[in-house]
Amino acid sequence: MRIIFSLLASILLVSTGWAAQPAPVKLQLALNWKAEPEFGGFYAAKLAGYFEKRGLNVDITEGGAGTPVVQMVANRKVPFGIAAGDEVVIAQSRGADVVALFTVYQINPQGIMVHPERGFKSMADVFNSPGTLAIQNGSPHTLFLQAKFPKAKVKLVPYAGGIAQFLTDANYSQQCFVTSEPLLAKKKSVSAKSFLIADEGFKPYGTVVVARRDYIEKNPQRTRDFIDAVRGGWQEYLRAPENANTLMVKLNPAIDADTMKEAAEIQKPFIVSTGAPAGDLGKMAADRWTALTNQLQEIKLIKAKPAADRLFQNF
Amino acid sequence: MTVKERTAALLPPLLPLIFCIGLAETAVRLGWVPSYLIPAPSEVFRSLVEDRIELGSAAWETLSSALVGLVLSFFAGTLFSVALSSSELARRAFYPYAVFFQTVPIISIAPLLVIWFGFGRPTVIASAAIVSVFPIIASTLLGLKSTEPALLDLFKLYSATGRQTLWMVRMPFALPQIFSGLRIASGLAVVGAIVGEFIGGGGLGSVVDSARTQQRIDRVFAAVLISSILGIVLVGAVNFVSALSLGSWHASERKPS
Repeated sequence: MRIIFSLLASILLVSTGWAAQPAPVKLQLALNWKAEPEFGGFYAAKLAGYFEKRGLNVDITEGGAGTPVVQMVANRKVPFGIAAGDEVVIAQSRGADVVALFTVYQINPQGIMVHPERGFKSMADVFNSPGTLAIQNGSPHTLFLQAKFPKAKVKLVPYAGGIAQFLTDANYSQQCFVTSEPLLAKKKSVSAKSFLIADEGFKPYGTVVVARRDYIEKNPQRTRDFIDAVRGGWQEYLRAPENANTLMVKLNPAIDADTMKEAAEIQKPFIVSTGAPAGDLGKMAADRWTALTNQLQEIKLIKAKPAADRLFQNF
Repeated sequence: MTVKERTAALLPPLLPLIFCIGLAETAVRLGWVPSYLIPAPSEVFRSLVEDRIELGSAAWETLSSALVGLVLSFFAGTLFSVALSSSELARRAFYPYAVFFQTVPIISIAPLLVIWFGFGRPTVIASAAIVSVFPIIASTLLGLKSTEPALLDLFKLYSATGRQTLWMVRMPFALPQIFSGLRIASGLAVVGAIVGEFIGGGGLGSVVDSARTQQRIDRVFAAVLISSILGIVLVGAVNFVSALSLGSWHASERKPS
């Protein structure tokens, strides 16, 4: 009898315990591209319940070419979003108070992918040889490279995403994430060689989590919880990417399971600095932001220079 | 017209414009809306002035592509309509496919146009032609089919050939409809050209794409403003030709006396 009573009592306790727990806070994280290993850690955090454990119900929404994530965050349409480091600087210089909180990539994987048959040895060869280069119109990395190679012979054309043109045109080069598009080309039996834009000296943090400053100030604990969960997710994804990959293949069937797996492996050195402790994952340094701000001013993309320490906040 | 009459004619369309510009400027200046969401009209104006050379050459590029696309779709559309109007069977067989051009989401096939036609002009012109062809087909067909039956009977009575009937009655009587189709098509051709330029490169489409990347919303608005002026210029040109060719005889263009 006593056992039954204590059982009943414990059931009662547990159930009231559940009832007392507040409903999870609904949050949105807006990505600026389709589900791919670039975002693996975010999906891993969700799958492993890291958000849930902190009382957050996070909805991860995919984006596409031209999704204006920074502006959406600035306009309070979503609390958290993904942007490139340079977008944060430009946004702040134009009066949108958006702050970087976590960077996936320490080394930006943005690069230029070329056909190896053309025998290019460097980025300079790509620009100073005839041919076609698809690159995002007016974006900071484009302007930086144009300023660096002023006598370019290559014809610049708009970049619309995908690799369809690359597969069919032997003189076609395009911008890429060196961790992604070259693998997709290889999958279609077209080999690709790539050059990192970071190696040319333009090194914005890549795939950065951003939020409005007033949101962070009003919700410091929630922001910390969110970033903690994200960091946990990325540690998980670096260790065991399988579950997140399975989910992402379902969301974005353009990338098959093998390519997801390979990309997850290839991108590791871009995410983890050698010798850095696991807790440093995603943390940023002021001097990198200062250097980026100076470069953006040199290519005349910004007039007002935001202070480096207002551009980011490590959690 | 006297100065007074002219002012009276211009005032009604100008007032809403002045009101909207004033409202937008005030809203941004007073901080009701941040300038990264809606630019102050004065900022758009500054961008128009500062970037006038780039915007001017981009506008010319877009206008000329739109014009070539429009001319192409005019000839192709008119020929197609004449062929369809000549037989009920042909109309029933092919007209449904003309509707395809009306419904094709140009933004989704633009990347294919690049693969077919390559980067640059050809893609832009094709895009302008594809979106502008349907209104031409639809209205030309309607025009060709609505000739007064008495006139057709008269031509039959004089045993006119099919070609004579087409050129001397059916075409002239279709002109008002053809022009109204052209008016719609000319605005669409500008839109089609800009969408083509997003993917194919060049012109105002590139300016918008690049300005958007740089979060330069003032420049986006400046380019959009110019593109609507291009649309107005094209519609105006069609109106001019329409008045020239119909003014002497058709009710739609005859001045009230």
